[in-house]
Amino acid sequence: MSRSTRDIWWRMAWRNLWRNRRRTVLTASALSFGFVAAVLVMGFMNGMMQEMVSNGTEVVTGQIQIHAEGYRPERSIHGTMGGREGLDISALVAAAAAQEGVAGVAPRLYGGGLVSSGDETVGAVFMGVDPAREPGVSRFASVFVEGGMPGPGEVAVGAALAEKIGIAVGDEAVLVAPAADGSTGNDLFVVAGIYRMDLGGFDDSYALLELGTLQDFLAMDRTRIHEVAISVDRVRDADDVAERVAVAVAGLSPDLVTEPWSVFLGQLYFVVSLASAMNSIVAFIIFGMAVFGVANTMLLATFERRREFAVARALGTSGGALGRIVVYEGLLLGVVALAAGAVLAFLLLAHIHANPIDLSSFVGTYSFMGSAIRPLLTVEYSFQEPLVSAVALLGTGIVSALLPAWRAARLPPADVLADR
Amino acid sequence: MNTTSDSAAPAASEHAVRTDDLWKIYPQDPRPVEAVRGVDLAVAPGEFVVMAGPSGSGKTTVLNLLGGLTRPSRGKVWVEGREISALPDRVLAQVRLSRIGFVFQSYNLLPVLTALENAEFTLLLQGVPAAKRRRRVRRLFDRIGLEGIEDRRPRKLSGGQQQRVAVARAVLGEPALVLADEPTANLDSATADALLDVMEQLNRDNGTTFVFSTHDPRVMERASRLIRLVDGRVAEEIVSGGAG
Repeated sequence: MSRSTRDIWWRMAWRNLWRNRRRTVLTASALSFGFVAAVLVMGFMNGMMQEMVSNGTEVVTGQIQIHAEGYRPERSIHGTMGGREGLDISALVAAAAAQEGVAGVAPRLYGGGLVSSGDETVGAVFMGVDPAREPGVSRFASVFVEGGMPGPGEVAVGAALAEKIGIAVGDEAVLVAPAADGSTGNDLFVVAGIYRMDLGGFDDSYALLELGTLQDFLAMDRTRIHEVAISVDRVRDADDVAERVAVAVAGLSPDLVTEPWSVFLGQLYFVVSLASAMNSIVAFIIFGMAVFGVANTMLLATFERRREFAVARALGTSGGALGRIVVYEGLLLGVVALAAGAVLAFLLLAHIHANPIDLSSFVGTYSFMGSAIRPLLTVEYSFQEPLVSAVALLGTGIVSALLPAWRAARLPPADVLADR
Repeated sequence: MNTTSDSAAPAASEHAVRTDDLWKIYPQDPRPVEAVRGVDLAVAPGEFVVMAGPSGSGKTTVLNLLGGLTRPSRGKVWVEGREISALPDRVLAQVRLSRIGFVFQSYNLLPVLTALENAEFTLLLQGVPAAKRRRRVRRLFDRIGLEGIEDRRPRKLSGGQQQRVAVARAVLGEPALVLADEPTANLDSATADALLDVMEQLNRDNGTTFVFSTHDPRVMERASRLIRLVDGRVAEEIVSGGAG
């Protein structure tokens, strides 16, 4: 096929498209709407997932964690990094903090025991933190309803725990815990702060202590910690940053394991992956429905022009060339719809991104798999979803044209010219 | 009178088009319709042949069979000695493109193309380079009084102009045979005469073979041979002194 011939098929397809302007505009609008709907639904889904990941990782865990090999999932008190000798915590923190993409680094120590006041006692997880570094990774420091982060000899507890045993800031609480040397730690601590995370587990069973205080309480050297939590500048870069951190800290101890959130929050990662797969299904459903509508319109349009097709056949145009014109029309219709849809989708995405839709009056607030979900419908900018939707839209235009094209290619010219 | 049956059939290549015992039967309830019944026809290159007959006599069907737009139920058609009745669709399309031109009763220009684009359509399909196409179209347009309307779409043309563009489209590809189905039916007398003048001129100057189907006495008057069809059969052939 020569270039001139190819050009005339495209020219005819384009001009045919605009012969019935209203019909083309309506059909293209349906496709544009499908595109916008697909992009928005996927954007919302991504926004929700992004929100879940942010909440799931920003509240406490961070997006990357370093542990001693074998520490998870049992979380034995003896599973400190560097074994019983521990390691140079400052060097470890500094090495991690120096990596590109790292926003915050916080060393942590964990223990388990009882918190008592008066006649009331509850079980709790003791979390030793660096009060200066912890705010760079978790939300504890920002959710205190009274007091603040604990200093040496102090403890901070969740609001639900404080209510259970009836303590307030300034009161004393007794902490009891099995220590690393086999003894039982038992001491009085002043309540320095009460926080409210609005996530059940953290509010009713966590007690924060200054890192050195907890190390002493659990009879551990100041070189021993269970965890380094790391926050990153961009959540989507967590895997890459984790790899860099792993390389950077590898020399400090042979037993260090650096993992991104997709590993230590495997369930959350599964849900996010599922949502991503759902995006393709959403696009398939939306454009699958559109195919039938567009194909119907194109069938009608080709039926109206069957006499022209018959004339073109009589003049020596092959059936394949006629079919090609119809497919080109479908593709051009898709391009027109895509151009309009892209503008509309961009404007809507930009607006909703800047002004998330507040759904709290419909659904309240809730948590899911440890992630606090804000009832804000927001969208995330992404290249992938609009690209998938655009390909689906153009594919819809082409697929919709296949049946009309096939029929146009097979028209019996003499019968059509005789109106038989 | 000159009929194909009064002498032994000449070699096929001596004819622009020839048929042998041509039948077209449409299956229909309660009885099949025999639109064409055993037509034998031979048209020499450069002839200006007119098929006349009442409605339903099979004129258009014979033209469609000659042009390979429909396949015979029985019998054969040769165009320039090549039997086309059994050719595959794709090859038949090539034969139509290179050897046969069509002029229809209702012009049937492609509405999305300009007059020039319509006229050059077959040249374009034949792969003639753009400059050469344009040159040939303009030269013919000048000859048949269509200069200045090149960029107009068909809806902006009069019936006569549209039919002349259709004729230009039919002849520009230099076919062996132009089949014209009632080309003057929708035209007033003056326009019809002017159009016939153009076709006569092309027949005379270029040696293009024309086969018409018509009711129009003005067309019949100009025929070099008049074939009367009745009920799908050749009832009579009259050789006159018209064009060709």
